[in-house]
Parts: sequence; structure tokens; C-alpha cells
Amino acid sequence: MGCSVEERNRTGIINPVFTCQPAGAQYVGIGIKDCISLVHGGQGCCMFVRLLFAQHFKENFDIGSSSVHEDAAVFGAIKRVEEGVEALIKRYPHVRIIPIISTCSTEIIGDDIDGLVTKLKRTYPDSNVHFIPVHAPSFVGSQISGYDVATKAVFRYIAEKGDASDKINVITGWFNPGDLKEIKHYFKEMEVDATFFFDIESFDSPMMPDKSSFSHGNTTVEDIKDSANAKATITMARYEGLSTGQFLEDKFDVAHSPVPMPIGIKNTDCLLGEISKLSGKPIPKSLAEERGRALDALADLAHMFFANKKVAIYGSADMVLGLAQFCIEVELQPVFLMIGDENSKYENDPRIAELQNMPLDYDIEIVTNADLWELEKRIKNNRLDLDLIMGHSKGRWVAIDNNIPMVRVGFPTFDRAGLYRHPIVGYAGATFLGEMIANTIFTDMEYKKDREWLLNVW
Amino acid sequence: MPLIKFECDASIPEREKHCYIKKPGEDTTQYLPLSNIATIPGSLSERGCSYCGAKLVIGGVVKDAIQMIHGPVGCAYDTWHTKRYPSDNDNFQLKYVWSTGLKEKDVIFGAEKILRKSINEAFDEMPDVKRMFLYTTCTTALIGDDPKAVAAEVMAARPDVDIFVVECPGFAGVSQSKGHHVLNIGWMKDKVGTYEPKLTSEFTLNFIGDYNIQNDTLLLSEYLERMGIQVIAHFTGNTNYDDLCGMHRAKLNVVNCARSAGYIANELKKKYGIPRLDIDAWGFDYTAEGLRKIGAFFGLEKKAEEIIAEESAKWRPKLDWYKERLTGKKMCIWTGGPRLWHWTRAVEDDLGIEVVAMSSKFGHQEDFEKVIARGRVGTVYIDDANELEFFEVIDMVKPDIIFTGPRVGDLVKKLHIPYINGHAYHNGPYMGFEGFVNMARDIYNATTSPIWELAGQDIQDLSYNQDIVELPSAEAS
Repeated sequence: MGCSVEERNRTGIINPVFTCQPAGAQYVGIGIKDCISLVHGGQGCCMFVRLLFAQHFKENFDIGSSSVHEDAAVFGAIKRVEEGVEALIKRYPHVRIIPIISTCSTEIIGDDIDGLVTKLKRTYPDSNVHFIPVHAPSFVGSQISGYDVATKAVFRYIAEKGDASDKINVITGWFNPGDLKEIKHYFKEMEVDATFFFDIESFDSPMMPDKSSFSHGNTTVEDIKDSANAKATITMARYEGLSTGQFLEDKFDVAHSPVPMPIGIKNTDCLLGEISKLSGKPIPKSLAEERGRALDALADLAHMFFANKKVAIYGSADMVLGLAQFCIEVELQPVFLMIGDENSKYENDPRIAELQNMPLDYDIEIVTNADLWELEKRIKNNRLDLDLIMGHSKGRWVAIDNNIPMVRVGFPTFDRAGLYRHPIVGYAGATFLGEMIANTIFTDMEYKKDREWLLNVW
Repeated sequence: MPLIKFECDASIPEREKHCYIKKPGEDTTQYLPLSNIATIPGSLSERGCSYCGAKLVIGGVVKDAIQMIHGPVGCAYDTWHTKRYPSDNDNFQLKYVWSTGLKEKDVIFGAEKILRKSINEAFDEMPDVKRMFLYTTCTTALIGDDPKAVAAEVMAARPDVDIFVVECPGFAGVSQSKGHHVLNIGWMKDKVGTYEPKLTSEFTLNFIGDYNIQNDTLLLSEYLERMGIQVIAHFTGNTNYDDLCGMHRAKLNVVNCARSAGYIANELKKKYGIPRLDIDAWGFDYTAEGLRKIGAFFGLEKKAEEIIAEESAKWRPKLDWYKERLTGKKMCIWTGGPRLWHWTRAVEDDLGIEVVAMSSKFGHQEDFEKVIARGRVGTVYIDDANELEFFEVIDMVKPDIIFTGPRVGDLVKKLHIPYINGHAYHNGPYMGFEGFVNMARDIYNATTSPIWELAGQDIQDLSYNQDIVELPSAEAS
């Protein structure tokens, strides 16, 4: 049985999996402390994305717009950025980084944001604000490549060689706060000093008696600067930060260790092995026990409830392929995988080769540049018979209308509460995923009266 | 100074002309905030774009049409799963969005080809759907694609379909408002009069400027049905595309949202002589007043009174129960514009609530004329408020509740201030008699939630702790 890879064969998109590059760049910006991105384009390019973050996180994040209006669209809008930067600097004196994120309109009219950054440095000679041009035309790539591009831009403009440190850079990719917390925990258990990019743990901010707490990123300018001095960089996502790891290696000689996104047991093993190798420290028993607890929980579910169940997964390549590997570990059959954008590098992804070489007794179909109509259409014309869908909330109607249980993963997951708080990576993530899948299937059995009496002594 | 300068605006002093505090006896015409002018870059204004005003707000409500967005994918993705306008055909308009998914080569060589293909594909994939709204975006406006020509070509090849083109890139105008205008005028020009509706009553009207948020339209329609009035078209709550093409056959245009849809009502009056009647569909007493006016126009006064009596009997006691408990509460309204003037007096009269600060994202001068006429003395009226101003206003007016969008709601939560979704509601509908009781209930629940008191208590503060359990004192530990 095989694993095929093809692209969406329609020209237009019906129900996109992803939004555009500037949104991904904005996600990078909010992960940095004292950073307000300035999105250079029409106002919707900023406000819709702020809403999107609010949908997923139930939090506000500060992002500015250069508010390009008609005159500027015709005669050049670079002055709008200058004015925007001035307003930000004067009204938000704590700001230390202003990524200037281009959009489709300002890429087309050809505003020179790189030239402007040089000019801004002259305008504000004493300012310690870093201006970072981020080219994010939305007619290229997707939110994923936008995240990748912005990450690299930030490091390119700020990282600076100094005294060597013993730290490890960890570039996670597009994570949830719960994911980052899990990864931080591993480094702590292994007593390895690391800096996490981007530190989004505080996105899940408390409501405090003194009303002082707000959601923000915690990665500082110094953290980014110091990345050039680290002993190594671990990147966990090929399409969301790998290029930055490569950059740090090329420019500053920081060894780059890419690992697969640590979704599932084996991918997590691989991450811990890499940390051990880089640090020379053994993997502690505590983590072996965490792994054992995860396996123990999953063993209760796999052959009883998961075996032979057919799953469709959609989202970003790193997540979808990682989840597919996890599914196979627990006997689920990831028969239909949809990656929401195109990237010539997908063809050579080793995880796809791995899926192709596995001795599976079912077929796997991968569609790149996919939209969610691709999923709905296959279900409706009976080409695809599914027991489970895994993906973000914008695909919810496909599941609801076709009576297929669905587990929310990826971004955004606004139609279930609190998911940003929980990991899908690491052993705890594998446990959480497995149990979320099981509980979703259990609820479905009860609503459909499908052997609901089964759930007593498993 | 009647116009106020916020401290946070020291470096953008032009903001002073957008902010007004009403004083007793003042000639308010002298101090109308500037509005509907360019946004200050980097101010963290709340404004969105004009494409949004066309697609998300008005066109996208139509329940039987494809919404084809000609541009890169973001504009489509971003206007999907964000609105709460259901329909009685299983919410087709909420479930789908279409994009031509423009790529770099299309920017360079022109994108009409992929537009044509995408339109045909869309109709092929959903053969039961025969109507389409087609929007340009920033990109496709700049490269100069001619979507009207493409649409005409497709319509010639597919005689069973109809396409309406809106050319409204995000950079047009200064806010969502321009999108309303372009769509209104375009619809009037291209589509009104192209369809003859079936008339089932001698009393006919269009309900203009209501978008069926959480089924507002369905609730109002029921009143009109009970009066024996036929609604030719709702612009655009729960509406069909073709119904909107038949708007010229109504005898009356009833307008709620005069901001987004006053344009088409004016044009219908000019071209077809259909009178425009502005009402407030929010507010208990306002609803009664609106029904009376509609009744008076058609000579259906008695029917109107019957409905008002029935609805009052059913809902007034509940409303009064809330009024007793909400009187004196202080409220902010930070929304688009019209809800400021629809609500400020309604919540005061019906619920005893004082609206202490209001901000409009995209209102025009006439919106400020209305809200300042109806609003309280001492209240803050702001055009295009930005985030730092919001914080300063909160310090000034100390609201008990804020009606605004969910993101700003998430923000003010940290300050222990409850919010109600002033755009899409918490548990609506909010229009009509029943709706205003729903609104009152949500305000009551939000402001009386035990959460706020808990949030204010500091467990590290020994005096709080000692009330609960005997804890060791700091010295002892």
C-alpha cells in the first residue's frame, strides 16, 4: 500500500486552511517582549489578524497598522510607515522592536521598507529601537512561510556575535503556550540551559488583583542578540524556523540541529536524544517515567478504540506529518493528510519518505496546497470514509455537517475552550492528544448510541 | 475646553479634534468631533478596511450567494468564521468562503484568467448555487484587473447565473464605511429592478440596514408578518440575492442602520419615490415607536398597537425587573458608530443605565450629530478611538460594563471590567422587545458575576486570608 502526494487541482480556493504571510509575521512579532509590529498595508491586514489571535487565545495583542489609504496606494505609502513609527515610539516609550511587515498592497506599489529602516536609524540615532523590515507579500506562501520569514528577519537584524555561551537556542515553530511549557520542562529536567524562541508562555496571562497583567511575548532583544553566541540551535519545524537555524549556523557558526516536530513518542525521543547529545547530559529517569506514563495511557486506548480508525488531518506540514506519525504509533490510520499551502520543499520532506516506506496495509493520500473543500468534497462523494478529523476550528462545519467526530489541533482552535494551554508535543502532548481523541470518540458513541454501553470496563 | 486632549495623545495632537465631552448649555454644533477622515498610522486605531465593509458586513450576509474574493487568500480567510449572522437555509453564508488565491505570477501577468477559472469552478462545485458577489481586494485593484468584464463573460456563457461585482480594495476610503457606500450604490445601479418579486400583500416594505445578527431579522420579521406586511427585501439579513434585486417594488423603506445602508434608501427614494423611514430597531420603547410609525404609514395603527400590547405584556415585567437592578450602572459603547445613537438613550430610558463614554470606529458627522443629541451631558464622545485612549477613558469614567468587540473585551477583562459583545452580542438577538430583554439579561449577568469580586481579592494579602482560614503570620513562618 502506498502514500501518494498531489496538489489541489482547482485554481480557486474554497475554505482556505491558512491565511496569508503577514498574519504569520504578526504572530512572530507578538512573541517578542516590548515589540509592536507595524503592518504596512490596508487596515484590515492588521485588524483581522488581531481578531484571529483573540479568537484563538482569548487575549488582546498589540499590533499597529500604517493605515494605507487611497492616496498613499497611488503615490507611495512609505511616509505612512514613518508616521506610524513615530507615533509608536512616542506613545509607547517601552517599545524596543518594530518589525515593519509588508503586505500585498505595499509589495505591489514597491515601497522600500529596507531603505526606510536605514533612514529610520538616522532619524532616531539615540533610539534603542530595532526596526526590522519583514517582506511578507501575501501572494507568496502562507501564514506558515510568513512566520518563517519574519523569524529569520528578526534574527538577521538583531543577532550579534559576543562572548560564547553554553546555551542552546530552541526555535520551536508556531506553538501554543502549552507546547512551549512542555518543551521548557524537558530542558529543566535535563538541566540544560536554553533560550526559547519565541517565548509565548505568557500569552496565557492571569487576571490579577492589581490589574497589572497583560498577554505578551517574553523573548527579549538580548535573547535574540545572544542567539549568535549559543552552543547550538535546535529547530523543531522545517517550515517554521529551520531557515533561521541555518542562518545562525552560516553566519555565526552556531551548530544547527533540526529535529522533527516532537509530536508523538518517537519524535519526542528524538528531541531528548538530541538535547542529550548536544549537552552531554543523560536523559533522566523522570523523563523515562513520563514517557512510560504516556505509553501506559495510550496502551489503554490503541487496540481497543483506535485500531483501524480512519483519520483526516489538516494544517501546517510540520504538525500534520507529526500527527500522522503519532496516529500510526497508536494504531490510528491517517489516511488523508492536507497541507494548506504549497512549498517546493514538501516533496523532499523525510517524513513523507518515511510514510511512503512504511509497511502499512492502507493507503495514505497527501494533498498539498489543499483547501477544506477538498476534504468536504471527498466525504460527500463517498471517496473518503472517516472516523475522525483532526484540524483547526475553521474546518468545524465539515465535521459537524457530516457527523464525524473532530479533535481540534493547530491554529486557530476557537470553538473549544482552553486548548492553547495544553501541549500536543512531548509525552504529555501525546497523552493529551490520545485522550482528547478517545473522549471525542466516546462522546460521539453516546450521541449516536453506537455501542455506548461499551465504555464501562476498558 | 469642550474638546479634550488625552495625555496619551500628546504626540498626536490632531486627535483633540476627535474627542468631545458634552457640557450643559453648549452649542454642540460647534464641537462635533471630526470624523470619517484619515487614520493616524501606528495609533492602534480600531478601524478595519473598506473591503470588510462590503463583503463581511453587507454582501456576505446574503444566504444564497457565492462570495468570490479576488485576491490573495488572506482577505477570504480573515472574513470567515468571524460573523454571527445565521440564516434559515442552514447557514450557507457562514460555512463557506471563496478566494482566487492570487499568486506572484498572477500579480505580474494579470489575474483575470484565474478569476474566470475560479468563478467557473465555484459554480461547478456547487451546482445548486446560482448567484455570486465578486469583490476586488488591494492587490487586484492595484494591478488593474477588470472583474466586471470577466463577470459579464461568465454570465454570457452561463445564462442561469448572476454575478454582482464590488470594486472595493481595502485602501479605499479610510475605514469600513467606504465599502458600505460602494456596495450600496453598485447594487442600486446594477441590480435593483432586475427582478420582479411576487406581491402577496398590499402593504410592502424593504427593511434596510439590518444584518440578522443572532437572528435579529427573524425576530423583527415576525412583528411585520403579524401586521400583515410583506417584506420585499431585507438589506441584507437572512436575504436571498434575488429579493434584493426586487427592492424597487416596496412601498416603504424602513431603515435601521442609516450609516451602512442609508445610501440605498436615499437612492430608492430618488429613483422610485419610495419614502425612507428611519427607526431604531433596538430599544423597547423605540421598537414600539417604530412599529407605530410603520403602522401609521400603512393605516395599520390598530394592528401595531395590538402587537405592542402583546409584546409589552410578555416582556415589560422582565425588562422592569432588570431596570430595577441596572439603574445607575455606567456603560461604555465602543463599536462602529450607529449603535452609539441607537443605544445611548434606549438603555437610559428602558434600563436606567448611563452611557458615559462612546467611541465610533467609522461613523460620519451625522452619526455624531445623532449621538450627541441623544447622549448625556458629561459623556465622552470619541471618533476613531485608539487603544491608549481607551485606557485613559476607563480611568476617567470608570464604567461598570463595556459594549465592544471580543478582543477589546479580553483586554479590559484584565482591569476587572466585564464586556458584552457590542457587535455580535453575547446571547442575542438584541433587537425588538424580546431582544432588549436579552440585552438587559446579559448586562445583568455580566455586571453581577462573582468573578469580578474574586479577581480583586489578593490571596497574598494576609487580611484577606485571615478572613478565610487561620494562616501562620509572616513572622511565624
